[in-house]
Formats: sequence, C-alpha cells, structure tokens
Amino acid sequence: MTTFIDITALAHMTSAKAEQATYGENEHARKGFFTDTTLCIGCKACEVACKEWNQLPSDGYEFTGQSYDNTGELNGYTWRHVAFVEQFERPPEAQDSSAGMNRWLMESDVCKHCTHAGCLDACPTGAIIRTEFGTVVIQDDVCNGCGYCVVACPFGVIGEKWQEGEGKGTMGKCTLCYDRAKIGEEPACAKACPTHSIQYGDVDELRERAAARLDQVRERFDGAQLYLNTENDGVGGGGSMWLLLDKPETYGLPPDPVVPTKHLPQMWKKAGIAMLMLAGAVTVAAGVRK
Amino acid sequence: MTSTAHGNGQINAQTLHEDRPGYYGRPIVKPPEWTDLIPTYFFTGGMAGTCAALGFAERIAKNDALARTMLFGAAAGTAISAYCLIADLKRPERFVNMLRVFKPTSPMSMGVYIFSAFGGSVTLALASELTGVLRPIGRIFEGIAALFGPAMSCYTAVLIGDTVVPAWHYGRESMPALFAATSASTAGGWGLLFGPSGRSNSAQRLALIGGAGVMLALEKLHQELGPRQKEAYQTRQAKMFGDTAKMLNMAGLATSLFARKVPVMGRIAGAMLLAAGVCERFGVFRAGCISAEDPSYIIDAQRERIAREGNRASSN
Repeated sequence: MTTFIDITALAHMTSAKAEQATYGENEHARKGFFTDTTLCIGCKACEVACKEWNQLPSDGYEFTGQSYDNTGELNGYTWRHVAFVEQFERPPEAQDSSAGMNRWLMESDVCKHCTHAGCLDACPTGAIIRTEFGTVVIQDDVCNGCGYCVVACPFGVIGEKWQEGEGKGTMGKCTLCYDRAKIGEEPACAKACPTHSIQYGDVDELRERAAARLDQVRERFDGAQLYLNTENDGVGGGGSMWLLLDKPETYGLPPDPVVPTKHLPQMWKKAGIAMLMLAGAVTVAAGVRK
Repeated sequence: MTSTAHGNGQINAQTLHEDRPGYYGRPIVKPPEWTDLIPTYFFTGGMAGTCAALGFAERIAKNDALARTMLFGAAAGTAISAYCLIADLKRPERFVNMLRVFKPTSPMSMGVYIFSAFGGSVTLALASELTGVLRPIGRIFEGIAALFGPAMSCYTAVLIGDTVVPAWHYGRESMPALFAATSASTAGGWGLLFGPSGRSNSAQRLALIGGAGVMLALEKLHQELGPRQKEAYQTRQAKMFGDTAKMLNMAGLATSLFARKVPVMGRIAGAMLLAAGVCERFGVFRAGCISAEDPSYIIDAQRERIAREGNRASSN
C-alpha cells in the first residue's frame, strides 16, 4: 500500500514482511515460486502461458543462435524466460561415456519478488508496490517511465514497454499473476508447467520443499545448488527461488546479488560530507576579498 | 578442457560460446534506459546548484554584478535541468506523479524535492532580480536556493551510486566528491565566462578549488573502483570523454591563472572548464552503460566478494 510518506520506507530499505503487515486483515501468506531446473524440459509453456494470460505482445522474432533460446532475456514484455545452456565436456569422437559429461541445462527465469526489492526502493512515484501476497507489482497507470527501477534491479528483470497501446512507456515485469492470486488461482506459468519444474505456493513452505529436493538430487547432480532460498543473501531472499545445476552466472543470474539500497545511508553520509566541503569551497572563494 | 576467467561451470564443462562470460555474454543487469538528457542534467543541475551558492555569497559580499551573473547561471541550469528531467521520462505527461509520495529509500524521490525547492527559489529570485519587484523577498529566495545548492550539486551522485550499475555502484563512496568538485569547477567556469571583468575573482578561486578537487576526486574514485572495475572508465566513449575532460580541466585551470591580467583568458578558461564538466558527466555516464552491458564486471565483482567473505546467495 502506498501512502504519501511510506512509513516502512523511512528505514533505509523496504522489506516484504513489514509492508505486507500494512494490509492488516487482508494480508495473505507470502507467495512465491520454486523453480526446480532438474525438471525443466525447455518446452516454454510458461513463456506462452504468461504472454497469453497477461496479454503481452511479442518483443520481436529474432533468431539468436544461442541454443533453443530465441527469447533472450526478461524485459517489459517477457516475464518468463527459459535459458538453455549446452555443456559439452566429452569430445564427439569419444566412445567411452566416462570420458566426461554432456548435458543441456534449462532454467525458467522470472522476477525474484525480493524481500528487499531494489525496484520498490527506487520507484519515485509509488507505482511499484508490495502486495498483500508479499509480491512486487508495477501499477502501469501510475508509472511515468523514469527508468530508475531498471537500474535498481540486481537481476535485470525490468524493461520498458515500448509498443503502441495501453501501458506504452511504462515499465513491465512479472506480477506473480496478481489478478489470479486474488481469486486463489496459481500463476499461469506454474499452471501450464507440465513437469512441475515451476511450483507455486507459500514462500516458507517452498523453502523447505527446495531444501528437501536438494537433499534428494545432490548425489546425482554435481554442482546442484539452491539460489535465493535464504534470508541471508543480499536481497533478503527471493519470493522466487531456484534449484540450479551450475553456478548462477551460467544461467545469466548474478552470483551474489545485493540490493543497492543496502548502502544508501553510507552514500548519503558521503554526500553530506561532499555538500559541506562544497559549501566550504564557496565560502572560501567568496570570503577571500582581493 | 579450457576454463575461462569467468568460467561457465564449476564442473569445468565446455559451454558453447565459452569465450563469452556468463550466459552467452548477455548483460546480467539492464543498462540504463536513460538518454543523454540525464548526463546533461547532471551537468546543468550540478552547475546550477553551486552557481546559486556562490551567487548568494557574492550578494552578501556586496558584489552585485557577479551575484547577478551567478543567479543567471543558476536559472539557466535550472531551466535546462527541468526540461531534461521531464523529457527523459517515457511518459512525460505524468511527471507530477513524482510528487505523489515522499520516499527516503529513493534518491530520485529525494532529488525531486531538492530540485523543486531549489528550482522554485531560483525562479522567484530571478523574477525579482529582473523586474525589481519585491527585492528583499527575492534575496531571501536567493538564500534558500543557496541553501539547497550543495544538495542539488551532490544528490545525483547518490542517485547513480544507488543502482546496480557496476561503474557507479562500486565507486559510490567517492562519487559525491567528484560531483561536488565538478559542480564547483563548472560554476566557477560560468562566472569566469560571463562574469563582470575585474569583479569575478571569487569565480576564479572557486574554479581553481573545484578543478583541483576534480583531479583528487578522480584519483579517489579510481582507487575505490580498483583495477578491474576501473576498466569501464577506460573503454571506448567513456575513455574518450574522460581523457578530454582531464585535458580541458587542466588547460582551463592553467588559463584561469591569467584571468586577472588578461580578461579574455578568463573567458576562455571558463569555457574550457564548462566543456570539461560536460565531458566528465558524459564519461561517468558512458562508463556506467559499458559496465552494465558486459556481465563480466558484475561477475568479477561478486565472485571477488564471495572469495573474500563467503557465499550467501546459493547453498549446496
């Protein structure tokens, strides 16, 4: 909820729990995604379902030559993006499968709905809000397209909606299907996912589920790791979390994301010193009369 | 198997396009959507803030001629700034939405209020100066503008530091000093260029303090960034603007030393310092874009922190 002076914003960064609490009796359990990449088959049903439900236009037909990924990135019109990573360790001529591993990684990327959301901290119009589900949503009837959220997101999730039509010039990203959540439905992507690679639910429960799943697959997959499943990371944990099979950057995710607002008090302190020095310089310049 | 500096897997697997860091070399964070109006604003807004401060100081010192020049500088800077800020919005007709909320977590929100207070005061002071109506009130607004001036000159450093753009974020602690110094050298430059002959000595002094400050602040910025992140400032247009700024700054400083003997030298020095300020702002802006487009800046910085302090974002 946005009031003129956002009480929670008086702290130097916003936090899911405190903001959700402002909804009082309308507050719901925090919702999120657990994306289990060991189950992803790269069908892109999530991308399609998202586009259909949210009535998002195409962002162009481009052949990237980057495996099966012709979507490329998350942006204002693409709120789910399936990454494809081809890894070949075994030379083609090798007969012996123990000579190395060949594998094809797939991962469906989405907005992280961070506990400490950089975009939400940065938004100067109040267009970006924390919902009663603990998710982060851009109101496109308020957004004036200043673009500050774009550079405040540690994951490069947000982009401009540049095409003619409703919302042109505003910024877009996943809403965790806010409209569907309000009627108790799961988001379109999770609904469409045929392998349960995308799982929707209460964040607390998903974190446990993710940890249990890691225990299951740790033996089989070298490099398996959970991503954004803990409050100790630089964004206070995600509403979205992942089971990955390789380092985050392999999938285009930052290995150590930090909400920039974390350092805001220190920055203002340095700016305060600079302001005083500037005032001092002016005083000296004008004070010496000759 | 080959492993690159930014390796594509801890299993050391060979990935297609392994010469490119991360995921096919695609950006991890989005480069700014901002146009060149934004670095232009950093220049005009920074200059305007310090112009107002020096103008008021000169008013107190009873040097009305230079005070007037500086007030005009503040007003010109404010007018261009207002245009840049609104025109850069993708929905300019909604610029008033900036005034819906007051958000301390957002340097842009704070900046909107700083700019409103500053720009409003400058406008009223200018109106009084030009028409001669309500002079004492006009002077009070000059004072208010001077009060907000240093904030106007420095807050933009916090605005860019508080982003995920590596060249800005990893230089966040020294950026305010650089912005303050550039504002001082350009405000001094304005006074030298347009000020009254023989009565612009304080503009010259401010230019000298600011110009020297720019060189010190740049050194500090490079130290804070470290060798890896500094590369963004030494790449393509960022380097071109940065090098040009440095040369113009030094030339402007040297020329300004002769301002008192040869007035035209003062004007030339002023023009050079203003041009240096423009280049400085564009250099910083371009470095930000370059560092956001190449994911290796993010990966290297974050991997370095992980190596130093341990992993916290992922667990296995």
